[in-house]
Amino acid sequence: MNLANMTDYHHFPIYAIMVLFLGAFVVSVAGAKPSGNLKNPAGARAWIALCATGLSLFFLVMLIKPVMLEGEIIAYWMGSRAIAGGYAIGIALEVDALSLFFALLIATAVFVSAIYSIRYMVHDDCVPQYYVLYCLLAGGVLGLVLSGDIFNMFVMVEILTFAAVALTAFRTKVYGALEAAFKYLVVGCMGSTAILTGTIMLYAQYHTLNLAQLASLIPGTLNNATKLAFAFLYIGFSTKAFIVPFHPLAADAHGAAPASISVLISGVLTKSGIYGIIRLTYFLFQTMNLGSMQFMLVFIGSVSMFVCVTMALAQHDFKRLLAYHSISQIGYVLAAVGLSTSLGISAGLYHAMNHTLFKGLLFLAAGAVLHETGTTDLGKLGGLSKKMPHTTALFLIGAFSISGVPPFNGFASKWMIYQASYQKAVETNNIGFLAVTIIALVTSTLTLASFVKVSQSVFFGQLPREYENVKEVPFGMRLAMGILAVLCILTGIFPNTVTGVLTQPAAKAVADVGEYITAMGFKSNLPVPEVSFVQVGVWEPINWLLILCIALLALTIVAVAGKYDRVSENEGEQVETKYQLFYGGEKNVYSQVGGGDLFWGFKHNWRHYFDFMHDLHSGIVNDYALWAVVALALAIVYMMIVL
Amino acid sequence: MTANIFLNGLQYLGYILIFPGFLFCFVCGMLLTGIDRKLVARMQKRVGPPILQPFYDFFKLCGKETIVPAAASRTTFLMAPLVGLAALVVIQLFIPIHGFSAFSGMADIIVILYLLLIPALAAILGAAASGSPYAGVGLSREMVTIISCELPLVLILLAVAKTVGNAMGTGLCFSMSDIADYQVQHGSLITRLSMIPAAIAFAMVIPGETGSHPFDTAEAETEICEGMHAEYSGAPLAAFKLSHAIKVLTLTSLFVALFFGGIGTGLVALDGVIVFALCVIATALFISFVHAVTARLKIEQVFKYYWTVVSGLALVSLVLAWYGM
Amino acid sequence: MIQFNYIAAFFLIVLGFYTIVTKYNLVKTVIGMSVMDYGVNLLIITIGYTPGGTAPIFTAGELTQASYFVDPIPQALTLTSIVIGACVTAMSMSLVIRLHESYGTLDTREIRRLRG
Repeated sequence: MNLANMTDYHHFPIYAIMVLFLGAFVVSVAGAKPSGNLKNPAGARAWIALCATGLSLFFLVMLIKPVMLEGEIIAYWMGSRAIAGGYAIGIALEVDALSLFFALLIATAVFVSAIYSIRYMVHDDCVPQYYVLYCLLAGGVLGLVLSGDIFNMFVMVEILTFAAVALTAFRTKVYGALEAAFKYLVVGCMGSTAILTGTIMLYAQYHTLNLAQLASLIPGTLNNATKLAFAFLYIGFSTKAFIVPFHPLAADAHGAAPASISVLISGVLTKSGIYGIIRLTYFLFQTMNLGSMQFMLVFIGSVSMFVCVTMALAQHDFKRLLAYHSISQIGYVLAAVGLSTSLGISAGLYHAMNHTLFKGLLFLAAGAVLHETGTTDLGKLGGLSKKMPHTTALFLIGAFSISGVPPFNGFASKWMIYQASYQKAVETNNIGFLAVTIIALVTSTLTLASFVKVSQSVFFGQLPREYENVKEVPFGMRLAMGILAVLCILTGIFPNTVTGVLTQPAAKAVADVGEYITAMGFKSNLPVPEVSFVQVGVWEPINWLLILCIALLALTIVAVAGKYDRVSENEGEQVETKYQLFYGGEKNVYSQVGGGDLFWGFKHNWRHYFDFMHDLHSGIVNDYALWAVVALALAIVYMMIVL
Repeated sequence: MTANIFLNGLQYLGYILIFPGFLFCFVCGMLLTGIDRKLVARMQKRVGPPILQPFYDFFKLCGKETIVPAAASRTTFLMAPLVGLAALVVIQLFIPIHGFSAFSGMADIIVILYLLLIPALAAILGAAASGSPYAGVGLSREMVTIISCELPLVLILLAVAKTVGNAMGTGLCFSMSDIADYQVQHGSLITRLSMIPAAIAFAMVIPGETGSHPFDTAEAETEICEGMHAEYSGAPLAAFKLSHAIKVLTLTSLFVALFFGGIGTGLVALDGVIVFALCVIATALFISFVHAVTARLKIEQVFKYYWTVVSGLALVSLVLAWYGM
Repeated sequence: MIQFNYIAAFFLIVLGFYTIVTKYNLVKTVIGMSVMDYGVNLLIITIGYTPGGTAPIFTAGELTQASYFVDPIPQALTLTSIVIGACVTAMSMSLVIRLHESYGTLDTREIRRLRG
């Protein structure tokens, strides 16, 4: 094979996956001998993992031009075993704009998290295992989204579930890590089994495992077996996306895993589930033109966003709170995707991307706090902004983004979701979609409230005495957070560019299933659909930001000229010691308002709801398994009725 | 060409700095608070301060020393009031005055809803940065008040969007300037049946958003020492006072723009005066009068009130708008 | 008679679910997961089975039009699935051991530090 052939971009998807699995292998080999000539094997392993993830990202970025901009769909047969006798024999990769979109998200999150890991994991004792599992997890997710074969999707799901469970249990000394991993394993396995069952039932009906061929065969031939398969597959991917009723697992797993892994679980694993659901509903079964399927996805999405945000409000652990928010945001994505309009899909994917960025940033900030203070309990922390100013600033960017404060990226995508749902409501004259708009808007405010709670209890307020000697985190960790923060701001300020380059091609790919089938060499008579991304509202972040900057500049000039900064810190001159801490004359006491009590006025009115939810999330693995079984049963019944 | 750009730039700078930006906001906002204080005093059979008292207070505060508590995070503490103030002025720029909007087509009502969060958020972060427990209690109440007001506001704005969209035949209309134009041509929205409950609900939201009686739990001078502003002094406190004044103007003028946008002449200067007069009436009715006759509620009562009574009204309006009334 | 296989497969899957949901012992939960896996394996093999078919082992010359054999793909899938099932069992048993070390019990009702 010559070099020109090898650098053909059609090979890049498989390179991107293999480089990660190869990285996992090399990491496990590197530094195996303690007497080797590497001075710092842990460091070497970190760099190997970083190179692997970086290369993988590079290969995917190289695909943006042909796939995203020129609209090519890369159909790649492993070992050149293409179609024989009308059936797909070989294993295929199929990369359309949707796959590439998710792959880019994943590769970015994995790469940034690898940068972060270098310093974050330096004191851990099981570093080699960590990087092996890390690369396996990354490779598994990437393989899942690039695969053109449903059984390979199952294999990749198993690889990533394994790696994720192992990494959740990785810090065995952490409170609840083992327990979280076990729960995740049990329910995750039920999900994987469901995916396998669904897959094999499809195979029994159509004698193929190729996604494109299935998509060309299934529509119009639904019988009870395929409906059953659909329900199984749907529930299987739901467990991977952690949407209701699987959200407690996310909370447990995110909270216990190291922060760099929480980023992957939240930003990457959940996306793989969403990707699976999109492939399943839009491509394989093409059922999204049914009102009942739209209703199901939008309903589950809305329930996820609301239930999880209220669960988050009741949390008093930083990472657990973030985990619930994660699922709440996934609810936005699912609801938007379920609208089944081009604008809705585009908005949902945009939000999925933003979710990866800001949630990654927030988890890394939580990791930074954990790294320096050794706890993430909101009740024990406080006042860290004086000790960790950069982390605080980066955290605030993430918090504003997730709360949808303009001009950050969360606002841009949520705003598209509000519009898409309202437009859908008006077009179909269905007041149910209007309820989605309202729930989405209110959830956004509750998210803000929850992050005000975090910033008050962790970064502002008073510094407890035991954290007097806390320092800012190392540069490597701040760099990783900084990359994500910059991306958060950029994707917020240039929404049109981002949607034009990334999400609209992906949304077009979702709409144009016929192209996906024919690109693989199968026949399809699906028409090329009309797509329109027209929005009713207007949002021009650059102009708005310009005006705000001018206003702020004018104010600052006036303030400086008016000696606004003529400040005396009330130390030194003050004789009376009781004025030292506060202007109001408080003594030097530690009197922080606890994070748990912060929104008492809100929670009081909802106390029955909160009590009920608290009892419901009992933490017993049998209960969660029961939820999974009930969800499966409901899905089967629903599919039998509506499909 | 360059001269043209320069002139345009100068014009926009004029919008930002003079009308309807900083100067307009400053004068009108302060006047509104002055009138409010005077009215409340008269209703309570007191003499009350002169109408220009807020101006005096402002300049006096600006001359005072600023003290930063030792427990505070200095940068956030000092920058928060300025960011809040700037954001409020920007919002004011987007609210049309009888068909005239300084930056037309740049913002829709959902954007305005979220921009309104920024000043509150700035105040909250400033309070959190001060480290004071009083500020902590204050910010928690402020946040709950924001959550309380958010649901009715969302419902109201969606109802307005639907009503105007129905009338224009597009189904939906989010653009602020389109809503203003529609009212200029077809008369105020308040004349439509579906908008009457929304207008009442919005009138009830105004005191909550501006933090005046009976929804001033977040400040509650007698209880938690002005809450979020407990540690502020000097110029930053003056900036907060000014922010509050502008917020009164913003909300009342938003009310006027949404429901009484049809009243005007077409002359921008004259319309400015008319809008201001309407704002004064709105302030007198919804802030001063309510202030004079009510006592402070507890925070959970505030929440309950907004999510039941006011949201119910707004919901009625939304449903009416949905069925085209 | 092949339908008994299907019934047995789904019976095993449901039995697995039942065990996981109702048994409060961690080891029994793991057993339930294994039973669930076996059910799926049986299902896969059954789908590939054609009555009277031979094993799909042919060299190039032997394959004729008249060759009648079972579908080989499900057998390959089953192998993958069995390997994965074994991994799941190993991993969950190792977790159970560590859980027993740190919690001192195998009762799921007591292993619930993370809740709410």
